[in-house]
Amino acid sequence: MNPETSHPATRAGRSERSAGLELRSVQRSFGPIRAVSDVSMAVAGGSIHALCGHNGAGKSTVVNMICGLLQPDGGEILIDGEVVSLHSTYEAQRLGIALVDQELSVIPTLTVAENLMLGSVDEPLLLHRRRLRAHAQDLLDRIGLRCSPDMLLGDLSIGERQLVEIARALGRGAKVLLLDEPTATLSAPEIELVFSAVRATAAQGCAVIFVSHRLGEVIELCDRVTIVRDGLTVATLSTDGLHADEIVRHMLGELPAPVAKAPSDRAEPSLVVDHLTTPGLFEDLSFEVSRGRIYAFAGQVGSGASEVLRALAGLYPATSGSVVLDGTPLPVGRPGATRRHGVAFASSDRKGEGLFLTKDVRSNLLVSRLRALSSLGVLRRRRMATVGAEVARSAGIAPGRLRTPVQQLSGGNQQKVLVGRNLADPTVRVLLLDEPTRGVDVGGRGAIHQLLRETAVTGVAVLFASTELDELIELADTVVTMREGRVVAVYDGDATEAGVLSDITHGEGVA
Amino acid sequence: MKRALALLLGRGWSSLIPLAAFVAAVVGFVSLPVFTDRPLEIYDLFNLFEAYAQIGLITLGFGLVVIAGEFDLSIIGIFALSGVIAVQSGQHHPFLGVLLALVIGCVFGALQGLLIARFRIPSMPVTLATYIALLGLTRVIGHNQPSVSFENIDTTLWVQEPVLQVFSPRSLVVLGLFALTALVLGLTRWGRELRALGGDRKASRTSGIPVDRRLVALFAASSALAVVGGSLAAFNTGAAITDPGAAPLTLGAAGALIGGVALTGGRGSVVGIFAGTMSIVTLQQIFIVSGAEESFTDLTFGLVLLFFVAVNAPDARNGFVRLRARRRTSTSAAPKGRT
Amino acid sequence: MTRAAPEQSASVTVERNADDRLPGLLRTGLRDPGNWVLFAVLVVAIIVGASTPRFFTIENAKAICASTGTIGIAALGVTLIMVCGGLASLAVGETAAVSGMVFLTMLGHGLVPALLAATLAAAVVTGIQGWVIGAWRANPIILTIAVGSILTAVGARMSSTKAVAPASEAFEHLNKTPLGVPVVVFALLGLTVLVQLLMSGTRLGRLMYAVGENRAAAVAAGLPVAWTVACGFVVAGALMAISGAFSAASSHTITLEGANQLTFNAIAAVLAGGTSIAGGFGSATRTLFGALMIATISDLLLLRGAEVGTQTLVKGLLVLVVVLLGHVRSRRSRT
Repeated sequence: MNPETSHPATRAGRSERSAGLELRSVQRSFGPIRAVSDVSMAVAGGSIHALCGHNGAGKSTVVNMICGLLQPDGGEILIDGEVVSLHSTYEAQRLGIALVDQELSVIPTLTVAENLMLGSVDEPLLLHRRRLRAHAQDLLDRIGLRCSPDMLLGDLSIGERQLVEIARALGRGAKVLLLDEPTATLSAPEIELVFSAVRATAAQGCAVIFVSHRLGEVIELCDRVTIVRDGLTVATLSTDGLHADEIVRHMLGELPAPVAKAPSDRAEPSLVVDHLTTPGLFEDLSFEVSRGRIYAFAGQVGSGASEVLRALAGLYPATSGSVVLDGTPLPVGRPGATRRHGVAFASSDRKGEGLFLTKDVRSNLLVSRLRALSSLGVLRRRRMATVGAEVARSAGIAPGRLRTPVQQLSGGNQQKVLVGRNLADPTVRVLLLDEPTRGVDVGGRGAIHQLLRETAVTGVAVLFASTELDELIELADTVVTMREGRVVAVYDGDATEAGVLSDITHGEGVA
Repeated sequence: MKRALALLLGRGWSSLIPLAAFVAAVVGFVSLPVFTDRPLEIYDLFNLFEAYAQIGLITLGFGLVVIAGEFDLSIIGIFALSGVIAVQSGQHHPFLGVLLALVIGCVFGALQGLLIARFRIPSMPVTLATYIALLGLTRVIGHNQPSVSFENIDTTLWVQEPVLQVFSPRSLVVLGLFALTALVLGLTRWGRELRALGGDRKASRTSGIPVDRRLVALFAASSALAVVGGSLAAFNTGAAITDPGAAPLTLGAAGALIGGVALTGGRGSVVGIFAGTMSIVTLQQIFIVSGAEESFTDLTFGLVLLFFVAVNAPDARNGFVRLRARRRTSTSAAPKGRT
Repeated sequence: MTRAAPEQSASVTVERNADDRLPGLLRTGLRDPGNWVLFAVLVVAIIVGASTPRFFTIENAKAICASTGTIGIAALGVTLIMVCGGLASLAVGETAAVSGMVFLTMLGHGLVPALLAATLAAAVVTGIQGWVIGAWRANPIILTIAVGSILTAVGARMSSTKAVAPASEAFEHLNKTPLGVPVVVFALLGLTVLVQLLMSGTRLGRLMYAVGENRAAAVAAGLPVAWTVACGFVVAGALMAISGAFSAASSHTITLEGANQLTFNAIAAVLAGGTSIAGGFGSATRTLFGALMIATISDLLLLRGAEVGTQTLVKGLLVLVVVLLGHVRSRRSRT
């Protein structure tokens, strides 16, 4: 069967089956910014429909409108053929829309059974403990999760918590199940469990919407895929015989050109890590990084990849092992001391753990090098201006932006500021970046990669963690794949997307 | 039974805190003779429950709000204000006085909760401001006198009349409210939701819990508890004190923390708060009975609270954790092959 | 708070940063909802003051200034605590009182040594609290409630036999009125300038703003969080001591009676000036205006015959309004 493409206009005009969810030319703006200008999508009851789009394409805005967090400025949302107006998440839930996303909405301090019943609209006021347990056990069996309903949710792994969340959504008997990147934290067998549960739910007549970057999963699980770009629906395709490249082409408008990697010679190891272990996160890691090389840790959320970087940055006091930089042993578990020794860290959560949002770009760029910019504690304004301009230039930030509060910048520019904070700084000898291009579109990503390559050339050891396969292949000289806290394999310049993907989804850790 | 025990231990030692607090209270009480040079009398138990009745509802209100992840500093203000209102309007009909105070208190609490919930304003500065305002209002209504006297002797006597030798109508009311709260929170989903609010507010919202409504109800409830506590305290003393000072808050916070309420939210139970309150009043009784100076009492309670704040501090254990990790590094096996 | 970006010039080495020196308050003016209250109070004060006898007189102005003095100095300390993320200290009054006692007791050694002793003692005690809050993330409100209790006990001990009497007459220097203005006012102005310079012009100040705004980000960036908060509290403690010394000098003795009042007044002054209790925003100049506002309102009410209770009530409501408006401001800027 050939993939069919249809224009959004004709799509909206067609009469749809009565069951399911439909978006008709919805629009949404935030002030002057048109996040969604015309998105139409029809998901029939019993079908699994994917929604794809690069960051900034309007995908998350669409998701937020479906689950009631935002209201559209124009267009209509229909459930079972009737126009609905979703003013709150509570209302959306009452109408049968269930959302499962990456940000877990399960409470660690409650038990599994309590979480499964939490916030349900038809939850009785008076508890029946036995009924609660039975209900919980039933849901756990349906999804195939082996754990006791009385366990504290905080004791489960991230992947298991995600499955509980999905079980809860299924338990609410949703008419529309909205899954937003749900598999990011799951291992391959867990992903299979989710898929079979989702298929079973769809078979019962539920309309499933699957939002994901993982095109392989999209093609495997879903019947149809809608691609959004620049706030518009650009294509709706059947997944029969569809190739991932075609989806990418619609998402970008064209396939991106690969970034050439600068050749680098092997140099003396500058960072030597021995038996690094953080209980519960990763075990017994030993490796060496040379100056000028870019070293990457690949692994899904919870695999230990980003945790290794955080441990090197000193954010986990329970970390044991030795870290030696240019012959000097580094303190482990003290972020202030680690930074003083020249190890700089940029978190994957730029808003919560990276930038100071109300402060301007220049303040954010200079905040970790204030000592060099002051004498006897007093700041030298001229020096700050000069260095500020210099750092902005290195980071590719327009000088006119320097006094803008960071929260007003786009995601890509914010990421540049976060990365830029550690550039052009002679005190930085090791640069650790967790998800260096998260939330950055393809254009911005190339720019940041270029910056990192240039930084490595100046002699800084660059280590990063990422879940984006193309980024790992493009940027890294050495790729270390990890799963469940252990190293699966080390690729010294010969990493392939297939090999890395296979390692991080179902590779076995090396003892 | 075995499963219950396994569950209890499986949840970690933090669930044993209420038990430990209760044991401490009992031990403390039983050791009273050491300070009084006479054997325990029924009267000691009566005094204990009277002291419990004095601060119990403040501890309960404070504790419940902290479990939900918020703070209510205005609870002391309501305590004082309701005492004055109840006394002034209840000179002839004390019950009506309490009712009036209750209405005012609940409305205030609900409005405060609305501000905090709907406008997502942090509760600390809001309740600090209302605390200040309430103290001012109390003084204004009390005509700037240090106390407003309660003429209704009959009520004063009745409130503290021994029932079953160890209780009084006042302490029975407070115990009753504790029991009622424990039942309501334990048997309905509200208890779970309360802990959810404090455990992860954002997740609670996306889970479908009507967070705003719950917060409004919570703040109204804590004000209501303070009203009952304040009115009864005023009736008991025969006068409403217009400025109770910081002591009730110190004791209330200490009682809640000893009882296992975590300052970070999401953890705690009514039973624990009860046990914690009993520990605090037992200590108080020991001080009273041994004739300790007020400054010594202040010092001790301050140190107790200080200790629990330090223990509750999320990063307090980092130093020990690092030490243990360093020891693990030096005792680890010979290095394995490099990657 | 939006500002137009400066034009790009050919040489970018020195930017127009003159605005840096202007306090944020004057820079943003009426665009910031948090400032509306200040301007509103100014207008109300003028209108109501016009109909209040003796309000627009020199003596009254001096009275306002004098009462602003001790509150304002303590409020500067609370400003530092608030900006670096310590929320507020509920032990301000007790710290000032006990420091005042130390001051009076040590006067036998001279004015300056007595001041130094009191300042040092308060700085150390408050600094330790800052360290516990900065390094361990202890809850600042409950912690300072506990400390307040302990200091009350200490203070009661120190004045157990009798109210603390000054050891010498040296303290009278603090009561002088050069040019007819009490010394405390000059001290307040001078300290405001110093604290403002500290906050905007030093590395410590920048770090305080960073830590107060987003502690997690500060930790991840390797900033010295515990040290920053501790230093902020150290300076705050010193300021509380100075306030206590002036109080002790003017009343010739000091008791713990009014401790709560000072705490509330100081916190109210800081919040009224628009400093955010959430941390990361605020300044010394804001607090100066806030203290002035609180003192003016108290004065107005007093002149019109209102009792202490009314003053407290009005202050509480004022702080509430400012907190609400301040929240509106921060939500608006976070579109």
